[in-house]
Amino acid sequence: MLRALLYLRLTSARNWLIGRIRRLRQPKYLLGVMAGAAYFWFFFFRPMVYAQGGVRGLPGAMPPEVASLPLLFILVPLGLITLLRLITAWVAPAGKPGLPFTEAEVAFLFPAPVTRRMLVNYKLLSGQVTILFSALLFSLITNRGGALGGNLFTHAIGWWLILSTLSLHSTAAAFTVTRLIDGGVSKRQRQVVVTGVIVLFLTAVGYVLWRSAPPPTDAQAANPWTLLQYATGLTDHGLLFWAVLPFRIMVAPFLAPGWREFFSALWPALLLLAAHYVWVLRAETSFEEGSIAFAEKRAKMIAAIQAGNFRLGQGPVKARRGPFALAPGGVRPEIAFLWKNLLATSAFFRPRTFLVGATLVVMLTGWLRHGSEHQRLALDIAGDLALALAAYTLMLGPQFARQDLRSDLVNADLLKTYPLRGWQVVLGELLTPASILTALLWLFILTAALAAGTLPGRGDRLLTPELRGTVAVCLALVMPLVCALQLMIPNGATLLFPSWAQSTRTRDRGIDVMGQRLIFVAGQILVIVLALLPAAAAGVLLWFAAHWVLSASVSTAVATAGVLVVLGLELGLGLWWLGRRFEQFDLSIESVK
Amino acid sequence: MIDVLGLNKRYGDFTAVRELSFAVQPGEVLGLVGPNGAGKTTTLRCLAGIIPANGGTIRIGEAVLAQDPVAAKRQLAFFSDEPRLFDYLTVRQHLAFVARIYGVADHEALAGPLLEELEIADKADQLPGELSRGMKQKLAIACGLLHAPRVIFFDEPLTGLDPLGIRRMKDSIRKRASEGAAIVLSSHLLHLLEEVCSHVLILKKGEKIAHGTLADVSAQFANGETGVSLEEIFIRATGGTEG
Repeated sequence: MLRALLYLRLTSARNWLIGRIRRLRQPKYLLGVMAGAAYFWFFFFRPMVYAQGGVRGLPGAMPPEVASLPLLFILVPLGLITLLRLITAWVAPAGKPGLPFTEAEVAFLFPAPVTRRMLVNYKLLSGQVTILFSALLFSLITNRGGALGGNLFTHAIGWWLILSTLSLHSTAAAFTVTRLIDGGVSKRQRQVVVTGVIVLFLTAVGYVLWRSAPPPTDAQAANPWTLLQYATGLTDHGLLFWAVLPFRIMVAPFLAPGWREFFSALWPALLLLAAHYVWVLRAETSFEEGSIAFAEKRAKMIAAIQAGNFRLGQGPVKARRGPFALAPGGVRPEIAFLWKNLLATSAFFRPRTFLVGATLVVMLTGWLRHGSEHQRLALDIAGDLALALAAYTLMLGPQFARQDLRSDLVNADLLKTYPLRGWQVVLGELLTPASILTALLWLFILTAALAAGTLPGRGDRLLTPELRGTVAVCLALVMPLVCALQLMIPNGATLLFPSWAQSTRTRDRGIDVMGQRLIFVAGQILVIVLALLPAAAAGVLLWFAAHWVLSASVSTAVATAGVLVVLGLELGLGLWWLGRRFEQFDLSIESVK
Repeated sequence: MIDVLGLNKRYGDFTAVRELSFAVQPGEVLGLVGPNGAGKTTTLRCLAGIIPANGGTIRIGEAVLAQDPVAAKRQLAFFSDEPRLFDYLTVRQHLAFVARIYGVADHEALAGPLLEELEIADKADQLPGELSRGMKQKLAIACGLLHAPRVIFFDEPLTGLDPLGIRRMKDSIRKRASEGAAIVLSSHLLHLLEEVCSHVLILKKGEKIAHGTLADVSAQFANGETGVSLEEIFIRATGGTEG
């Protein structure tokens, strides 16, 4: 029987690989592989080649401790998230325990004469494909820079041990919790006991640290790495040592600086892994029901992805009141799309929310401005933060606000029966994300404008209060058009390369898909830069020309008018062109491609 | 009301519809039949302006679809085999949205009786996800009929409906035709043609095999025999093979 299961696994893997290789005949996948391979070469393998040639890191690179700082900011949150997930697995497991079988596996294997142990082994073995791939990817990231010591091999084995142990622990925890429930322990009893143990433990740890832990020295507090070393040093003895011992055993091979330390750390980690494996096998819990539910959920998700309407983290759809009263006989039918797509977003994105936000900004900044020195400093920081958030929203906002053609493409047939020109549909679809992003940007601009000039000596001579106000208003005027242009690019890509755009939305994995995403993002940045250049050039020229005779504020207003005209023309041309494309668009053909 | 002259539709080297011409007058119901891949759905999608034709002329009322698509689309409604609805809009909100798109000023006065007729008035505040397949179909029909179209296209209208739903759908088609609408429907169900259609057009490999009233087409392929079933007529007309 095991041979049959292995045959299934190996044949599926071989066919998957053949399929992947065959689809390289399509340029979009071939280009994706090339881009992905180039990324891996330049980001991971090239630095390794340099390091093996005797130079750790590229010529002129930063010291490893500094170069690997971003790694620390990845690993620490990752560790905390893992800890949280482990706690959640005990306190609030998601439904009945299930192993991730597919619907076909459920249909073929569950009624087959296969023992429970064999099914569990088969699934654990199947899970190893993902774990091995993840371990390889993680080791490429953590080995970069060399600050963690070890080498690619020790990191890969270390990550494999960590991921395998965590995976087995989650399964075992779910099995154990179900066994407790089946044994008569209520959900509340379990939560009270588990939460009580965690709180008790944290209290004891806090007490021990407060009583006996020495504060970090200046050398220990010098940088995040030394601070981390200080923190881990606290777990070298006493209660904390025993509390974190399993974690230390699990991560020790990964953190081993050399081969000798690695091999001496390897056997306890393997023992821990084996203990978890035995735990899973011996847990006498039914997993079939949970597995069927999991398979159904997964099948639904795949169907949603294929239909193009999968949304990450979205709960069940609920009926809501319209965001505003939609007059039936209005002049502009495009407004109906704004109304419809706002209904598809969170109830939070409403005009009322924006007005409340703006009022709060005005009140808070006023209070901080007239407060103590600390309050003014806080306002100054808030202003800088608002500018940073505005830049972030402008760059990444269109990737998150997707209530446009990207979501509605599946309804293209219906939209095309409406008595509207193509450009009207495209414009209507852009209105919702453009409005949301514009409202956010306006709030940030308002905050930055009201916070500016709080502390003396920060650009007071350059930006007078009058000029600050003018710049803020001008920026606010430009933002809707910039947002619309930004959004036009992914929407245009959806219409021009629907199958390509669709593949970047799927949860498909692989170097080709990663490469496609890279190409897509790079293309988007290039197009928006090209689109904004003429407007920026016009604005600069007009400003300098006007500034010969006019004040800086008036010159800014004149330059903004020029920018608006150029952006408006670009937007108009873009809408017309994409509208034509929409009128020619045939979803059935694109899907086949 | 519907005039089609020399319609052509190609997908690359493959010709889905070739030199298709026909007309449908107000009150007529034309049944579009043919084997799988004959070009029925492609023809309907071209007529509804969903996909552009590669050649020929489609006239809806007085408007030529290629030249004035907005005017043409104002007069038509298209119902696909699978009702296309927006997940986040309730029944009532669907009608409000469509009313704005088509500029139906008094939509609330029209929507009430329409929802009553289609028996979904009590579902007005429900989302599509909460409706059965038949109810979704009814909502799609309510949306399509709100602007009182003079031309209606149905693609496989009985798909997924229960016996009661089938009867209601047939009644609804007959009612719209009696009110003067020109209707084209595609179906594999030959009994639907016998019960609802005044005319029939048989397609094979994108070409017109036969067109006329049911009696005309039956006579054309009966070879002088009497009492030949429509199924037999269909098989004789299409040669018993796929499109």
